[in-house]
Amino acid sequence: MRNSSLLAFAFVAPAMLVLLLILGWPLVSAVILSFQDVRYVGTEPHWVGFANYIKVLSGSKLLSSIGLSLIWVVANAVLQTMLALAAALALNERFRGAKVARTWIILTWIVPTVVVVMIWRWLFSTSGGMINPLLIQMGIIDRPIGFFASPAGAFATLVFINSWRWFPFITLMLLAGMTRIPGDLYEAARIDGANAWKRFTRITWPLLKPTLGVLAVIGTLLSFNVFDIIWLLTAGGPANGTRTMPVLIYETAFKGYRLSEAATVSVIATILLLAFALITARALDREEN
Amino acid sequence: MKRFASMTLAAVLISSAAYAAPVELTLWHMEQPPQRVQRIQEMLDAFNDSHPDISVSQEPQSWGEVYAKAPAALAAGAGPDMIFTIPDFTPVLKDLGKVQSVADFVEKLDSEHHFIPATLEPYTYDDGVWAVPLYNMSMNMWYRKSEFEKAGISVPETWDDWLKAAETLATSEMYGIGVPANKQLYTDQTIYSVMANGGASELYNEDGTLRFDNPETVAAYDFYSKLVALSPPDVNSWTWGEAEACFTSKSCGMIMQFSVISTYDTQGGGAPEDLGIAAIPTKNAGGEHNTIAYPNGVMLLTDDKAKTEAFETFVSWLLEPENYGKFLNMEPGLFMPVTEDGAKAESFWSDPMVEKYKPQIETAIANSKNGKLFGFTSGRIFPSIAAISAQNLLAATVQDVTVSGDSAADAVAAGQKTMEEAAE
Amino acid sequence: MKRSLAVNILLALTLLALVILVALPFWWVISGSFKLPQDIIARKPTFFPHSFTLQHYVKLLANSAYTTYVGNSLIVATFSTLITLALAVPASFAFFRLKFPGRRTLFRIILLAYAFPSIVVLIPLFGMFTKLGIIDTLPSLVIVNVAFALPFSIWMLRSFFATVPKEIEEAAVMDGAPPTVILRRVMLPLIAPGMASVGIFAFISSWTEYVFASVLIISDDKRTVPVGFAGIIGQYQIDWGLLLAGVVLAVAPVVILFAFIGRWFVSGLTEGAVK
Repeated sequence: MRNSSLLAFAFVAPAMLVLLLILGWPLVSAVILSFQDVRYVGTEPHWVGFANYIKVLSGSKLLSSIGLSLIWVVANAVLQTMLALAAALALNERFRGAKVARTWIILTWIVPTVVVVMIWRWLFSTSGGMINPLLIQMGIIDRPIGFFASPAGAFATLVFINSWRWFPFITLMLLAGMTRIPGDLYEAARIDGANAWKRFTRITWPLLKPTLGVLAVIGTLLSFNVFDIIWLLTAGGPANGTRTMPVLIYETAFKGYRLSEAATVSVIATILLLAFALITARALDREEN
Repeated sequence: MKRFASMTLAAVLISSAAYAAPVELTLWHMEQPPQRVQRIQEMLDAFNDSHPDISVSQEPQSWGEVYAKAPAALAAGAGPDMIFTIPDFTPVLKDLGKVQSVADFVEKLDSEHHFIPATLEPYTYDDGVWAVPLYNMSMNMWYRKSEFEKAGISVPETWDDWLKAAETLATSEMYGIGVPANKQLYTDQTIYSVMANGGASELYNEDGTLRFDNPETVAAYDFYSKLVALSPPDVNSWTWGEAEACFTSKSCGMIMQFSVISTYDTQGGGAPEDLGIAAIPTKNAGGEHNTIAYPNGVMLLTDDKAKTEAFETFVSWLLEPENYGKFLNMEPGLFMPVTEDGAKAESFWSDPMVEKYKPQIETAIANSKNGKLFGFTSGRIFPSIAAISAQNLLAATVQDVTVSGDSAADAVAAGQKTMEEAAE
Repeated sequence: MKRSLAVNILLALTLLALVILVALPFWWVISGSFKLPQDIIARKPTFFPHSFTLQHYVKLLANSAYTTYVGNSLIVATFSTLITLALAVPASFAFFRLKFPGRRTLFRIILLAYAFPSIVVLIPLFGMFTKLGIIDTLPSLVIVNVAFALPFSIWMLRSFFATVPKEIEEAAVMDGAPPTVILRRVMLPLIAPGMASVGIFAFISSWTEYVFASVLIISDDKRTVPVGFAGIIGQYQIDWGLLLAGVVLAVAPVVILFAFIGRWFVSGLTEGAVK
């Protein structure tokens, strides 16, 4: 027992050390900052108690950004899961070129976000962009439209772009989950005369659920924190329609020069996310047992 | 004995090395496109070769990150000795107490080269001069002479003319005008250029309170929203590049931009003589044409004596007419001289691109004399401008009109409130 | 294993949609990068290029330190992947199999890493790395990338450990093998697919990471591909041809890499050793 503890320590400690150093310490310093009045980096701090919390919580920006972040996470989760599930189910089949397709499904995921942003900025623009002419040719629209022209349009476009970039990742994870489903289960179902839909609902879906659960937790946290795609394309606009929490944090810290307030918002974000993570993690545990 | 000798030798070597070691200066700048980095490197090489006691090196940065990175680097002691800047950026670093006043040095340079006063103004406050102006950019109105002729219109002088011109130019093949409505710096610049031509160039009262919410500003926003209505549908996400693409591809009849010359020339815009440049129209006939201008400068971030001297040697060398033009032409047509002798420098006018577009560049230089920058006018310079401009609050107010559909008066009133919050 | 016609049609349609979704934007970008500048920004663009030029690539390669960026990115991504695996495998095994106080709590706390908006980590890290003297170095990026890849990797690997059939492990325990040997000899081969997926995740995350790389790196010769790419986009002007060539070259190295090792990675992941 003693030995096992020691071994466990040796196994876990290096990873924990890195996390503590790179993420733990900045977390602590953000909490400290949130009780101070630092505006620019490097200026002299003073303690102000809960003043930042009172200010942030009584303003309207925080609430609207929490709302937008919530919609952002849900919209991304829905779109990405749908795309990924369709892709994974298709790629899990045997067909000519399946192996190649499984390898190259990752194509959009390996594109750095800055590059993703430039690709779509160009494709959606009215000078040189392909999307408008394509839609006109297909008869869907008759004049070029602005994809970022309205808050809702910009939001939807960003969800699309972000999902385009991330769905291969979920596809891969689902494929990995699917291959762990023993093949003889399907054989048995087939012999029982279950059709494709039944096999999906009775076997694939229930057995994928643990994988989906882990993905739901981590995917939610990852997509909550998506910042550069939004910032580089709309900077939170138009009319603040895409100012999610990370955008608000960045804007407050580096555009409004209120580092302490930004730290306060991030501490609040962390508490919200943590609550979410712990609740879902517990639910997952229950399912596992 | 032997050991002593070798130690002495080592000491001599070290001290002589220390003696001969050049003063090292690091320069950060945000002119990151490859051709500009290359041109700056050529300048540095030439300087370092002719000044063996000084060694200047560059680290190109990007405007996107430098607002976060430079303060962090300075606070952590990892910053540069000098950095290129624009007036909005200077207060951010000045608050950290690292920026040195270069008032005496600038006075000396001024007596030699004569700065355009408008380029010094935004750096002169709080009993100091916080950067040496190096290159200027001013916004102009760009059009095609042939399109104007075809449509039978002349260069607009007033806002009414301008709107009519945009309406006349609009066809199924072309938008009459392209002005941005993104929450971004470009929109700040275009709306301010309109404001400055409608008697709303001052953001502050003399006592530092904001005077954004006034009838002139409202009129400017109202007019601007009419221009946006005649622009392409994607102007909400435009930055400078989209505007240039729109103009160069003949999808936009007119645009407001600092310079389109190099894009026009290299991306198939048309014949040089067809490219029209004009001052931004004014609200009423007979008014003086104003525009937004960004005098870029260089800030000194060290109080080390040797480095300060090296900095002065370097900047003096850079502003010498025989070197200066070559420096400005790192982006031909975009960067305008800030000194009188620079505006006449052979090294500036001999660039092939500058020769090709000489009339346009002469007009741009003339227009830049009336350059203003929001928050840096009439000596009314207050620290809160850093947050106001960094958050693009002028542009955000444009979006309140063009996206949310608020009336110009409501949007401007709300804009003033947001600015006051930012200024707190 | 015969599919019904309906399933076959559905499969074909899904695959077609995927090809359009993934390949079409790439086709536009690649074909665009060979077009003349005026064709790239034309209001009525051509779906198939009418012009062909290499000028954008020539300009990009002549004017930027592109090969240096690729080298840096490869170094950072490779080391990040290796170190992530080296730290995550033992840790996740310990969380899965070894008993120690605070195991469950600690395992949950790991998630905290993602619960924290990463932008705010930037400034404290900058100060800390400067004190440690590793600001403006590639190792600083490796450390950050590892830290951000670790929590996911540990969670993912633990779930892979959980799928190893108990009998196999128990047989090894009966033979009296210590945990280290069980991990190395028995478990590792069985969780190879998990390691593949974690490896891909770590590699891609590091390859595409932008925010930290742009702030923690100061000098041009240590920049990674995404940051170097961002640099060629001008502030006041955009050379769209240069940009598209940059897009192609920013993606090309990983595509080439995957042409060689991708199949191995993905088949390890999807065919699975545990069937």
